[in-house]
Amino acid sequence: MRNFRAYPLVWATHTAARAAATGWQRRGLLTPEQSAAIAAAYPLGYYRPSVFLRVGLFLFTWFGLASSGLLFGWIFELGGVELGLALLAALCVGALEWAIRDGRHYRSGFDNALLYCALGAVAALLSLLINKFFPAPAPVSARAELLLLALLLPVLLLALLRYADPLVAAATYAVALALLAKLLLFGSAGRLLLPFVGVAVGAGLHAWLGQLPKRPDYPYYQSAIWVLRVLALATTYLAGNYLVVREGNAALLGEAASGEIPFAAPFWVFTALIPLIYLGLGLRRHDRLLLGLGVLALGFSVFTLRHYHAVLPPAWAATLAGAALVAGTLLALRYLRQPRHGLTAAADAAAPPAFDLEAFAVAQTVELPTAPAPGFEFGGGQSGGGGATGSF
Amino acid sequence: MPNPLPDNATARLLADLVAQGLLPPAQAQAIAEAERTQPFSVHYELRALLYLGVMLLAGGLGVLIYEHIDTIGHQVIIGLIALVMAACFAYAERHRSPFTWGEAPPASVAATYLLVLSCLLFVSLETYLQVRYGVFGQRYGLATLLPALVFFPLAYRHDHRAVLALAITALAAWVGVSVAPLAMFEQGSGFWTDILSRPALLLGLGLVAAGLLSEKLHRKRHFAYTYLLLGSNVALAAAMTLLVNTDNAGAVFWWLLVMGLAAGLVWYARRSQSYLFLLLGVVYAYAAVTYAVFRLLLAGDSDLVLSVGLWYLPASAVAVVFFFINIKRILRLV
Repeated sequence: MRNFRAYPLVWATHTAARAAATGWQRRGLLTPEQSAAIAAAYPLGYYRPSVFLRVGLFLFTWFGLASSGLLFGWIFELGGVELGLALLAALCVGALEWAIRDGRHYRSGFDNALLYCALGAVAALLSLLINKFFPAPAPVSARAELLLLALLLPVLLLALLRYADPLVAAATYAVALALLAKLLLFGSAGRLLLPFVGVAVGAGLHAWLGQLPKRPDYPYYQSAIWVLRVLALATTYLAGNYLVVREGNAALLGEAASGEIPFAAPFWVFTALIPLIYLGLGLRRHDRLLLGLGVLALGFSVFTLRHYHAVLPPAWAATLAGAALVAGTLLALRYLRQPRHGLTAAADAAAPPAFDLEAFAVAQTVELPTAPAPGFEFGGGQSGGGGATGSF
Repeated sequence: MPNPLPDNATARLLADLVAQGLLPPAQAQAIAEAERTQPFSVHYELRALLYLGVMLLAGGLGVLIYEHIDTIGHQVIIGLIALVMAACFAYAERHRSPFTWGEAPPASVAATYLLVLSCLLFVSLETYLQVRYGVFGQRYGLATLLPALVFFPLAYRHDHRAVLALAITALAAWVGVSVAPLAMFEQGSGFWTDILSRPALLLGLGLVAAGLLSEKLHRKRHFAYTYLLLGSNVALAAAMTLLVNTDNAGAVFWWLLVMGLAAGLVWYARRSQSYLFLLLGVVYAYAAVTYAVFRLLLAGDSDLVLSVGLWYLPASAVAVVFFFINIKRILRLV
């Protein structure tokens, strides 16, 4: 897959290099002249306007495609909807490739909209064709769904490898997970295995993603990998969470009220331990994503416990937990005023300045032609995945 | 937001930079060392947890107070809210930067947040007093205008844009409330939105004027953004409502007004290099033009609506996309 990428690899690597240089300059490790020299040696060379223009481009491209879908439907009243959809998908892919090669679009909102529209048209086309050739009654329709997912997965995988879009990454993961769950549920033991498989798949995927930064094409897939990490970690936690397993089990059996599940003990262990593992690893590896998800998971674990074994009335619980949280955070802020154990309470000097709509708007709109000011292109590469998608 | 670069990629980049002669090897080593030893900042995580704790505490206490209101008594609660409000305000007042018509150096984070909190507590206190004791009686206009009268001076005194936005919102609420009852007397069956639109339009135009003036007269120039953003949206939404609700001849006037305001936004966007205003101007102008096209088509032949409309929508979207992509050339932006 050396030449399978749609965008030139240097667009991604140069963006990442500039972002790193900007961060070093903010921390005083580079002089502004050195940073400017690095920026000159790593030109961007692609078209990605300010965030508001990206939103506008995405909206109007999407709107134009949707309304041209109407037009297509009208033209192909004779040829059938399938022909119209196939033509729309082909047109979108053609326009997308042309926009990247000749227009040098790189997640400008325009190419995002074309990509999503093409994939949406393919998905609709597959679904129509399956319904046409397998007009199946209820018990067989599960097979038709399975077939649709199985056909959609390679399409999405190819699109992910070629365009490295974060939203496509999320869709690919969702389709793969749904396919796996449906396959498992065909078997009789599938319902019992499902949560364990979920925990294992999430953990396995996360471990594999951890190997990828070694690859030279990592910057190209950086934002897609980040999205996949979020989803993998969320899958591991949620598949092991007692509340999710118990209520999911009841929903699969069609029960109104959930009863105690078989093998409850390991799920209580997962519910208690996984957040702590995330928090511990996040603090040790200096991994902001693990840390944030660990906090969220811990909150959900407390909710899970309270859901089945509430001791205090909610108002008292909230008051006491809030007081403990405030006191604990204030203590941590004071304790970490001096860096300890590799942690600090001070803001990261390399990070872009704190989010402020006005500063944000200014940073987005001041587009200096050569020397990059701090905040120029707002983090460049790492926000790349954002593109128009991040704004929605 | 993904982490900037993992260790491997950083090492690779540093080697590249040294190879290209952009960095002396010693400095590259120093950067790698700094990357390895720099402490991990949990600043925003701790702040988020603190915020969560405050919300939990406030919510829990609120419910507890509500459940025990009979034993605590209203005066105690009102006194408590007033006390907290005064404390927050006193802190913000003590730590504010001295007044200037320019942009004041930013106050501490705590002072900034506490000023907003004291403003929100002021609104709750006023609501409490009105609901419980009816201090304002039937003078709803006064009750809604009071926050605006308090917040505007505060925003200027503390150089605080969030409080300015609060003040503008309070002003809009005042316009809405003091006009709505009139609608019932003036027109038994008319659209109340139509009645409300004219004052809203005036308010929006007034805010836009305030924004332009603050820029021109150098009186808190950085407030112009807030004034213009809120004002132009209010004015354009009101003008659009009037356009939709007016018959033939009058509609032309409102349509021209919408287009004029949208053109004004594009003009301002070009001057201030702000793509947000550009996006707003284009979206409003597009909506107005599209509305006019379909209204004219619907007035005539219905077959024409289908055939022209089907071509109009994609073609116009393509035109807007073309405009966006070539915006620098078209508007001669730097």
